[in-house]
Amino acid sequence: MKDKTPPSQPIEVTVISGEGLLINRKPPTKNTVSVTVKTGPFLSCSTGVDPDGRSFPSWNERIVIDLPEQARFITVEARSGTGLIGSAAIPLTDFCGGCLPDGYLSFVSYRLRDATGEKNGILNLSIRVKGGGQSSGCAASFSKPSMGVPGAEAKPCAGVVTGIPVSYPY
Amino acid sequence: MGQCFSDVNGGKQAVGGVATAAASGPNDAVDHFFRARGEHSLCTQIELSLSASKLLDLDYTSKSDPMAVVYMKRRDGKLEEIGRTEVILNSLDPTWIQKINITYQFEVVQTLILHVYDVDSKYHNLPVKMLKLQDQDFLGETTCAVSEVVTKRNRSLTLNLHNTNRIRGSGNKGTLTVRADEIVTSRNAIELKFRCSSLENKDTFSKSDPFLRISRASENGGYIPICKTEVVNNNLNPTWKPLFLTMQQFMSKENPLLIECFDFNTNGNHVLIGKVQKSVAEIEALHQSRACANLISPPSGFRHHEKVMKSQIFVDGFVEKQQYSFLDYISSGFELNFMVAVDFTASNGIPTSPNSLHYIDHSGRLNAYQQAIMEVGEVIQFYDSDRRFPAWGFGGKTPNGSISHCFNLNGSPTDFEVEGVEGIMAAYTSALHNVSLSGPTLFGQVINKAADIAGHSLSCNQAKYYVLLIITDGVVSDLQETINSVVKASDLPLSILIVGVGNADFKEMEILDADNGRRLESITGRVATRDIVQFVPMREVHAGQISVVQALLEELPSQFLSYMRCRDVKPLNVPQL
Repeated sequence: MKDKTPPSQPIEVTVISGEGLLINRKPPTKNTVSVTVKTGPFLSCSTGVDPDGRSFPSWNERIVIDLPEQARFITVEARSGTGLIGSAAIPLTDFCGGCLPDGYLSFVSYRLRDATGEKNGILNLSIRVKGGGQSSGCAASFSKPSMGVPGAEAKPCAGVVTGIPVSYPY
Repeated sequence: MGQCFSDVNGGKQAVGGVATAAASGPNDAVDHFFRARGEHSLCTQIELSLSASKLLDLDYTSKSDPMAVVYMKRRDGKLEEIGRTEVILNSLDPTWIQKINITYQFEVVQTLILHVYDVDSKYHNLPVKMLKLQDQDFLGETTCAVSEVVTKRNRSLTLNLHNTNRIRGSGNKGTLTVRADEIVTSRNAIELKFRCSSLENKDTFSKSDPFLRISRASENGGYIPICKTEVVNNNLNPTWKPLFLTMQQFMSKENPLLIECFDFNTNGNHVLIGKVQKSVAEIEALHQSRACANLISPPSGFRHHEKVMKSQIFVDGFVEKQQYSFLDYISSGFELNFMVAVDFTASNGIPTSPNSLHYIDHSGRLNAYQQAIMEVGEVIQFYDSDRRFPAWGFGGKTPNGSISHCFNLNGSPTDFEVEGVEGIMAAYTSALHNVSLSGPTLFGQVINKAADIAGHSLSCNQAKYYVLLIITDGVVSDLQETINSVVKASDLPLSILIVGVGNADFKEMEILDADNGRRLESITGRVATRDIVQFVPMREVHAGQISVVQALLEELPSQFLSYMRCRDVKPLNVPQL
């Protein structure tokens, strides 16, 4: 039987730069820091290494990767060689769906956390959904707030999350 | 790309053409210097061209010989003449050649008064400057704000000339057309990438945290700072992010610039590591030859003379660019949309009490809320084409009994817009009667609503930029929730201006301003893309001093530009640079 691959749309992620990255509490050695973007268990793509940067690397490298329809978030990981510096999970709602128009170029930045959950730097990226027309691939969970009358606000998570962040409606 | 981002630690943002808003911490030499001397980092020179049509004919044997005089209304209300055109002989539809130069300032309302005179033939040989206006025949006058002219599509505004009881008879006095053109040099910019090596260590327990400050030579021998790089932490061989220098800032390529390298200290006493003096042309030569220059260290200790150091500075990038200016965007149809949110928490005091921050004084003296609304609204209204402003209140108990943190100021259940600044004032005054003060102070809902509006406008076009003014008397109660909302909104075409009124200790609010360099972080791990919040406490302003609200508004053009340039959004329908 032919396996039907679920529909997906490409997204364009430009990995711009990193700030304050450390490995074993020290700036990483030169020419080792790279970023991997993952949109699914078998979908990932990496940038090259930044030759100079160390703790403040910059890549400005564009990655085009497929985003499976049922995906809710993408993951970015910064590595120095084989060692993981830190990762962040980016919910789809941060760069598409809701009030943002299709194909909008979102500039986003995320706190990286290392394997133990400690803060370890910031990663700056831009993301654009390249797919044609619909934002069906995006898990849009926005609801328009009603005007004048106060809406019920969901309580924010007070804890630290290293896995899937909870997205909550406005 | 990447100019939207700021660095992590205290007061360390780069000041350049495309950088995020200039840090306005108490020790920022660049900003303080400008304010003290009245120079503005983003001021623009424009020239006005005047023409008129269907002027009154006061000469019996021939037509009028008209000349125009332009005045600016000063803060004290007096008129100051800023220029005159030449006299054109025998014409009722003159197009004057002589241009009038003025400095466009975004943050104040610049009111122009224009008079047209018929110059008698016996004065035709005199230089225009020497003409006594009371000896000439007055043909008419008109008035407008500079921002009214620059926001028009073709930057040209036609006004009717009026009678001021000096001319006999009524009837058409003709029209006057004012056109404003930016002096072209405001678009030229140079992108510079600097790097240093072998810097001296000025810190005891770690390495220096270097940044560069560039100053240009001024006429009286001193140096005026024009921009600085971000701070690179703990690094004696730093590479800084690209810096933008506009032609307005460095004037000419031969003008000597002073490049100083400082070690950043959180207490504000930055230590000079070394300096070098180079003109832009010499910097270009350094880049092309891939050479470096040695820094010169200041006298220190027992050594009273300067010394050439081993530290070197390299120019890794030198690119001449043309950038669209703020006025390029505005006159092509980009708009600034004003939104306002007023604090209705109980800490303001019951509005009927004269001590209340919401007290409406019927003698006409504006309370702090009204003042803030007027000062910001009056400037921004010209940049908003339909003058319909969303206006909300927060922290109050609405007539239906529930406390709302985002209710429509006009009392309408569905429509949140009012017309004009006078509409905001009217809605505010009536809300004071209908809404009872309550609490707590929460900004989250208002910011989310503003972000929603800004985000939705992107579907139509990217030519609208939103400015939310929040006026509050207290410190926000749920800081993290507010930070979450600000971070979510930080990639949208939105700036948030927060004015603190009253005597509360607003120290905590400065966290929102992110001027100490720490980027705001939401609870989901997302970090703010850019610094969109400006906070200022409104204290008593003494006559003649720059108002604090003006200082807030000064930042807006550069916030607008950094958003547009970062996304490569160009002005509408303009020729390629």
